[in-house]
Amino acid sequence: MRLPWLENNDNLQANLFTLVIHLALFIFMIFSVNWQVKTPYYAEVELWDAIPTQIKPKPLIKRATPKVQKPQPSIAEKIVEAKKDADIQLKKKKAAELKKKKAAELKKKKAAELKKKKAAELKKKKAAELKKKKAAELKKIEQLKKKALEEEKLAELQKRLLEDEEVEKVQKKLLEQDDLERLQEELRNKDLAKETRIAIEGTQDLVAGTNSGELEKYKALIQQKIYQNVNKQLCGLDPLELIFEIVLMPTGDLIGGAKMIKSSKIESCDQAVERAILQAQPLPMPQDNRLFSQLKKLKLKFQPNGPIN
Amino acid sequence: MKQSFWKFFFLIWLVCISNASHALEVIEILGGKASQIPVAVIPFKDNNAQKSMQLMHEVITNDLNRSGLFSSIDISGVSDYPIDEREVNFSNWAALQSQFIVVGKIDAIGRSNSQMQVTWSLIDIYKEKTVLSVAIKGQPSQYRVIAHRIADTIYEKLTGSKGVFDTNIAFVKKLGKEKYSLFIADYDGHNPRAIVNSRYSIISPRWSPNGKKIAYVSFEKKKPVIYVQDIETGKRTLLANFRGNNSAPAWSPDSKKLAIVLTYSANSQIYTIDADGKNIKQLMRTRSINTEPAWSPNGKEIYFSSDRAGSAQIYKVDVDTNEVVRVTFEGNNNVSPSLSPDGKLLLFLNQDNGSYRVAIQNLLSNQMLKLTNGPDDESPIFSPNGHMVLFTYKDYGKVSKIGTVSINGLKMTPIDVGSETILESTWGPLSD
Repeated sequence: MRLPWLENNDNLQANLFTLVIHLALFIFMIFSVNWQVKTPYYAEVELWDAIPTQIKPKPLIKRATPKVQKPQPSIAEKIVEAKKDADIQLKKKKAAELKKKKAAELKKKKAAELKKKKAAELKKKKAAELKKKKAAELKKIEQLKKKALEEEKLAELQKRLLEDEEVEKVQKKLLEQDDLERLQEELRNKDLAKETRIAIEGTQDLVAGTNSGELEKYKALIQQKIYQNVNKQLCGLDPLELIFEIVLMPTGDLIGGAKMIKSSKIESCDQAVERAILQAQPLPMPQDNRLFSQLKKLKLKFQPNGPIN
Repeated sequence: MKQSFWKFFFLIWLVCISNASHALEVIEILGGKASQIPVAVIPFKDNNAQKSMQLMHEVITNDLNRSGLFSSIDISGVSDYPIDEREVNFSNWAALQSQFIVVGKIDAIGRSNSQMQVTWSLIDIYKEKTVLSVAIKGQPSQYRVIAHRIADTIYEKLTGSKGVFDTNIAFVKKLGKEKYSLFIADYDGHNPRAIVNSRYSIISPRWSPNGKKIAYVSFEKKKPVIYVQDIETGKRTLLANFRGNNSAPAWSPDSKKLAIVLTYSANSQIYTIDADGKNIKQLMRTRSINTEPAWSPNGKEIYFSSDRAGSAQIYKVDVDTNEVVRVTFEGNNNVSPSLSPDGKLLLFLNQDNGSYRVAIQNLLSNQMLKLTNGPDDESPIFSPNGHMVLFTYKDYGKVSKIGTVSINGLKMTPIDVGSETILESTWGPLSD
């Protein structure tokens, strides 16, 4: 079941290859676009009832966020659409270019191979004839040599021709490159605009998150839960400080216990504070991944007997 | 070259930026609570079925509970008792909110199995590991002492302070008309033994810090006089029998001197006297009453109560310079001072709205905490580790009883020494 037309026809093969690549890129692009539009803002809603004082500023910003968000998809889509088109063009061009380049390379390779083969055959022949006819047939040898020379010249010519073709191609390519660069420039500008917008929106969101106390809220919740367990009776009466570092899973459970950075120098106190941390598991953790990433590594500073002056 | 330098610079800058943005969030936890460590003491597996030994876990539980720093877990629903870490189902005990469990076994050893060996372990439920494992030997009859010592070891391991469960208290009981006795007993009131019997009342017993002697006030000379009695030999000497009343003995931290109160010249004044009755000196001369002396642990100051400001308040006087500073300000009257072993807490009776309550004051922050509800609490004294207070109180029948209260105010526990009225009590030092 050989398909000679497929094997022989370089163009068709390349075309098919291009098509597949394009499809894959296209699918990936659409997928990635959906991803970007969908992701961010959903986890903030449910948890607001807990701390009333901090709710107040939040709804304002929360109400404001959708307003900013609403126009965003259309703009984003436009940009994405534009980018898509541009991308397709770019990719077509790139593919065509790739195809041409490949074809040229193939031709070059084949010619070189042919030349090598012929040269080898000739040498063999020469050697055989030399052995047979020896010195008496110098003329013939000379003729053969001439022939070989001619053949070599031919090969060279062929090569030069090929090179010329290459140069043309390079020139063509350079021309294309100009186009391409222009196109890329355009795209980049579009991207830049989009990125800036995303960046602005991103910071807005971040600022909204911190200002409204989402992060602070969780810090306060964690603080409260651990505080409940701190048995300061085991820390004497003098002011002292302990520092622990913890790493958390999204479930609020500790990974690898609590690491003591600074000891109170009272063993029972160190132990009591460590127990307080362990006992507080699971710690309250936000659903939002971005918030979680800010809280997954924490430094806990304890002053069981009041602040150190 | 230049380019690579800039690249390098850029890289450094990037590192700095990324470090700054990845700085750890800091959560500050200020203060804490006065909570109790939940602990479950499992009945020890007794391979020789000695009944008294089976009560050891109860003694340990009561000790830990009394301190106010522990709360015992109800184990009535638990059917299998582990004897070491390997047999512990950690998730089950965690579900019971237990932070620690105490397990162990009792084996008969020695000739004709007359000796007992208790092998016990303290296990941390959160960390799922044995904190300590100890074997202790003794006679079966000594099961209470063994249990107290186990409780002491647990206490010291988890709180960092010595336990006081193997110490003694002394108290005066009125056994009948013209029948008074000074008793020494285990700290929880068990094993009482009388060291003084008298037809006259005995008050103000005070244990010397070295544990060898007890000073007390007796009315046997028709007025209060001060005796010092050697506990081991029972030999007693008359320390102070001066003109007027001789009362309120207080040992110096080195057990070499006492502060006493005499009405030698009109009203009550504080004097110091050597333990052998020599070298008596008046501490201050004032027109007001100065009484109830108590030494600071460093021996440099004496706290006392005085009416110099109209109401009775607590002051301190520098033993060398006689400089006086007022210490208490809250409440109508504050009397009967004593100091914690670390000198950081003042213990006294606070009288407000007609009722006397045991109170402590943090001498660093001057914050006061009332430990009891009164209304007729008396003679408070610190346990040797300063974590508990022994005091007398009147129950509904107006009979004086003794009890302990933890200095976090969380646990008040009566000491059962019979139905007779208790006059006064004191707490002995830690045994070495």
